[in-house]
Amino acid sequence: MKKTPIALLLTLGLLNTPLSAFAATAPLDLVGPVSDYKIYVTEQLDQLGTHTKQFTDAVKKGDLATAQKLYAPTRVYYESIEPIAELFSDLDASIDSRVDDHEKGVKAEDFTGFHRLEYSLFSEKSTQGLNDLADKLDKDVQDLQTRVAGLTFPPEKVVGGAAALLEEVAATKVSGEEDRYSHTDLYDFQGNIDGAKKIVDLFRPQIEKQDKAFVAKVDKNFATVDRILAKYKTKDGGFETYDKVKDNDRKALVGPVNTLAEDLSTLRGKLGLN
Amino acid sequence: MSKPNNSQASPPRALRWAVAGSVVVMIAAGGLFYYASKMAAAKRQHNHDEVVVNIHPGSCEPNELSVPAGHASFRIVNRSERAVEWEILDGVLVIEERENIAPGLSQVINANLQPGDYAITCGLLSNPRGVLHVTPTAASDAAAKAKPSMVAFVGPLSEFRVYLATQSSALIRAVTTLNQAINSGDLAQAQAAYLPARTAYQHLAPAAQRLAELDNSINARADYFEKREQDPAFVGFHRIEYALFQQRNLDGLSPVAERLLGDVNTLKQQLLAKSLPPEQLVEILVRNLNTLADVRAASGEEERYSHGDLNGFAANLETAHKVVELLRPLLTKSAADLLPKIDSALGDFDNTLNGFKVKDGYASYDTVSGEQRKQIADKAKALADALDAIDPALGLSGL
Repeated sequence: MKKTPIALLLTLGLLNTPLSAFAATAPLDLVGPVSDYKIYVTEQLDQLGTHTKQFTDAVKKGDLATAQKLYAPTRVYYESIEPIAELFSDLDASIDSRVDDHEKGVKAEDFTGFHRLEYSLFSEKSTQGLNDLADKLDKDVQDLQTRVAGLTFPPEKVVGGAAALLEEVAATKVSGEEDRYSHTDLYDFQGNIDGAKKIVDLFRPQIEKQDKAFVAKVDKNFATVDRILAKYKTKDGGFETYDKVKDNDRKALVGPVNTLAEDLSTLRGKLGLN
Repeated sequence: MSKPNNSQASPPRALRWAVAGSVVVMIAAGGLFYYASKMAAAKRQHNHDEVVVNIHPGSCEPNELSVPAGHASFRIVNRSERAVEWEILDGVLVIEERENIAPGLSQVINANLQPGDYAITCGLLSNPRGVLHVTPTAASDAAAKAKPSMVAFVGPLSEFRVYLATQSSALIRAVTTLNQAINSGDLAQAQAAYLPARTAYQHLAPAAQRLAELDNSINARADYFEKREQDPAFVGFHRIEYALFQQRNLDGLSPVAERLLGDVNTLKQQLLAKSLPPEQLVEILVRNLNTLADVRAASGEEERYSHGDLNGFAANLETAHKVVELLRPLLTKSAADLLPKIDSALGDFDNTLNGFKVKDGYASYDTVSGEQRKQIADKAKALADALDAIDPALGLSGL
């Protein structure tokens, strides 16, 4: 084949240009992180199952103090994997709905799950008549484990999950709306943040290939949030109640949380999943 | 006195002008704002074809919607007193959702919808659900007939990688148990631990066989070695099987068991590290089933000392089931005519193997006649052939 020197030079030039500089993420590069995410979710759910059992055992034994103590550390496992858990609308409602979701409020027959138990344990300070609710929560969590095991994770839901978690923080945690009876919102807050960070970490190589500065910015904001949350950690590895969080810290959380929610919402596009 | 009078009179006059001026500006600004917002609304309607859904305290309005397949935008207006969420559901699964829409505010949900009927939730959990009809379009019909894109394989391949991880862990646990029995010198216990470890291995076999050298040290038969069973290089499962079921002697077996445990740990690492191209997902099954049909079924050579062959065939078949389940959504969309053939080939092979079930597992292979072995081989071959049609149908090979 005959080639002009200029064509040769051009070809050489093209060959020397790093292709990755303008190559989009190859879909098959997502297989590793998506499957590692499923493994992570499965492990979190195993933990949720074990902890929920301990929590509901305490409720059924009528051990109010232990039940109160186990409430928040148990929920964390649900909060960290919410993007997947909330794909099952019926279970999300029976495990994690708030009183506001029910027309008849606290008395609604279908108000079940963590927040219904939270109401009795922290507002009424009682374990009376909670046996059925405790058993149902156990059963629902087991059901969730089975369903997640059988679910092929949609890649766009996995990647989109990081932003979904931060939106959840922005909408329900900063306000202290989620755990209104126990004020243990900071546990959930940290759970949401850890779950989002896990997603970023799993896809880090692919995102960095597209936009290194983006990853640095996201890391910085995660670090800011973690630093503020760390101020309220207690000696036993838990958190202070949300009413102890100072006004300036609440305000300081809003900025990075909103920026993270906004930045992470571009992840799907960056990884070619829109 | 006149000066103060003058100075008193002039500010009100200035003020009157100022007030009049600002009123004019306000009206003008109001008009501009009204105009701009009208334009914006018109533009929004024009650009996005937003479908507006109003959420009232007890219901949605409209409660029944119809949109063409493809991209759709819904503006959800919360006209109730509480924060609400709006979801599009396929059965119990959430397709798209928007949570925490504050009272009096609205949010937009963008969705990419396949044709079909979906349920929509409307605020409170007790509120009646609405219906969303998504009607087919020329584009959605064309997309339905098109071959799946690479992105469509990310889900099934990820799920298969999770399967490899789970089964590898099961294999490591089972080989650890086998190891402990051998180390404690308990022949009966070691024999009992052999088959479960083989089940776990045979689940992985189609993928493990890609790793030629490692797989040889785990699974090679005595025939591959110059001095056969007496060859010092003969290690792995079958060396252990030979000691447990033929020699019935555990002497000197511990190092072999130790090595196998190391190898299955390496196997897990390598299976997870090596990416599997989409066309290989089915190809590895076909290859595995062909060795079953061509060699293993007739000869019973694989488990020649323990005669646990049927146990392994069943495990191979379970992995085939797994892969077909993972590809089912893609096949339903792009190659629906293949599915009945594949399902009946899977079912036939299931039935044949089930015919050999005994109380705690499968019949010993030395009791299976030549005629029956041929039947097993035929079913495996039929399944391999049915599966072989998948890659071309999904656009994964040139043929």
